Amino acid sequence: MSAPLPTIRNKQPFDAGRATYLTLNGLLLAFLLAPIAIVLVFALNPTPYISFPPVGVSLRWFEKFFRTPEFTNALFLSLWVAGCVLVLSIVIGGACALALARGNLPGRSFLTAFFMSPLMLPAILTGLALFQSYLLAGIGRPVWGLIMAHTLVAVPYVIRTTLAVLHNFDRRIEEAAAVLGASPTRVFFEVTLPLIRPGVFAGGVFAFIVSFDQFPVSLFLVVPKGETLPVVLFNYMKFDLDGAIAAASMVSILLALSVVLVLERLIGLRAYVKL
Amino acid sequence: MAVASRPSPIAWLLAPALLLFVLFFVLPFGVMAMMSFYSGNPVTNPNAFLTTRHYERFVFDTAGIYHDALWSTLRIGLITTIVSLLIGYPLAHWMARMQSRLGHALVLMAVIAPMLTGIVVRTFAWMTILQDKGVINTLLIDWGIVSKPLPLMYNEFGTVVALVHIYVPFMVLTLTGVIGRIDERLEQAARSLGAGRLRAFVEVTLPLSLPGILAGSLLVFALSISAYVTPSLMGGTDVLTLPMLIAQQVGTSFNPNFAGALGVVLLLVSLAIVVAYNRILARLSGEQGLA
Repeated sequence: MSAPLPTIRNKQPFDAGRATYLTLNGLLLAFLLAPIAIVLVFALNPTPYISFPPVGVSLRWFEKFFRTPEFTNALFLSLWVAGCVLVLSIVIGGACALALARGNLPGRSFLTAFFMSPLMLPAILTGLALFQSYLLAGIGRPVWGLIMAHTLVAVPYVIRTTLAVLHNFDRRIEEAAAVLGASPTRVFFEVTLPLIRPGVFAGGVFAFIVSFDQFPVSLFLVVPKGETLPVVLFNYMKFDLDGAIAAASMVSILLALSVVLVLERLIGLRAYVKL
Repeated sequence: MAVASRPSPIAWLLAPALLLFVLFFVLPFGVMAMMSFYSGNPVTNPNAFLTTRHYERFVFDTAGIYHDALWSTLRIGLITTIVSLLIGYPLAHWMARMQSRLGHALVLMAVIAPMLTGIVVRTFAWMTILQDKGVINTLLIDWGIVSKPLPLMYNEFGTVVALVHIYVPFMVLTLTGVIGRIDERLEQAARSLGAGRLRAFVEVTLPLSLPGILAGSLLVFALSISAYVTPSLMGGTDVLTLPMLIAQQVGTSFNPNFAGALGVVLLLVSLAIVVAYNRILARLSGEQGLA
């Protein structure tokens, strides 16, 4: 890199201490990533049970996964629910973040904390509370009830990413547009909305993943034969540990990885360091 | 900045989110609290009456399992938090001080990628690694280091290992933000005054990152005491936590009222943590505003 750095940085001398530091961090990274790599190995290993070391490469588990209606139905339900959650949480969360950042609301920090609270409270309790409410209301366990439950825990992600973008951009751009004669509506649609779009979309991608991988909220809200993929996998794993689970896992992981790449392209991952 | 005046029309955009949160969050938690004081479903069963017996059942614990479950939930949460801190701190420090943008992006991706992989999938990964015929035991036996498989799973150890893997990214991200904000020149000053690298870290950077340590620890603790998937798959018959007990009451005993009471207990513990976490975050952003 040729650009000068803002602070004078001493080049770290390479000695035993530095080597230990780097080795330690390398091991920790391996701890984070190895389990995911191992799932791939088992997804491709043709033996009927999970066994190590692998003896070959085959796609039989992927075949089993895509040929088992129990799995594919669950996959389609999960994708459908996550798609609905994506749309709902973009609209609701994006609007909410705008109101929080630009609405001149009293008690703003309290409201922000309130809208973030589904992330901090036990998700299994959100599921339990909704299960009991649906029970009292006598509505059974409809799919829309599951979608609303997922939306509730996905919206905070959209609010967070959108707020991050709103904090970073210069309000004077909006003011300049207003001074130049644009009506507030026009400023909103032609300046504000395009500027926050990356944040809203990034949040939407998170929302999709949160819903697609959701377990604790779904647990009490799904009906037999109408379970989402994580619930089906969980029930299967209690009795059987074979390559089909690994293949199913790989399908989810590939989905997640492609999402990370999309995120990186959209606004760069650095924005997420600020939790 | 101008003093906050009347809310602008944009404030109306809050309405959909507010409606969602009232209907599907505030109200349901109210229903849960209410159900915990009823003997049955008050809508369908006209004989349902108000009672504190679910709480008495928990407090007096004649079955001798509820206190143990609460204690093991807190213990597993605490151990997971401490281990996550020990593992997360070096990674966060490395990331915060990394000078190459590419390196930073790669490490960040490595930290976030597991986060985007579902908990069920990651628990499965650890089962394949830690079970009797799993990766570690197979290798240890093949190399002749042990003669029979080590009990790495179906106990608290396996549960904690998998939980740490699942929640350590939250610790890393929280800490990276805080460590990154500490002026590196403070440490350099300490070193130019003769402190060794370790001493400069222990006496300058570590104390300054204390708010991040607290915030990250509270976050990981809150997440791990509410974990259900991992303890129930990795814990075997050895581990019974509060969330597992709640699921049992709903699924097999069909006693949603007692489940509600257990839920309220777990909720109170979590709320205490959330309040502390928000206090620390508020203080952190206050300091940032002054800087």
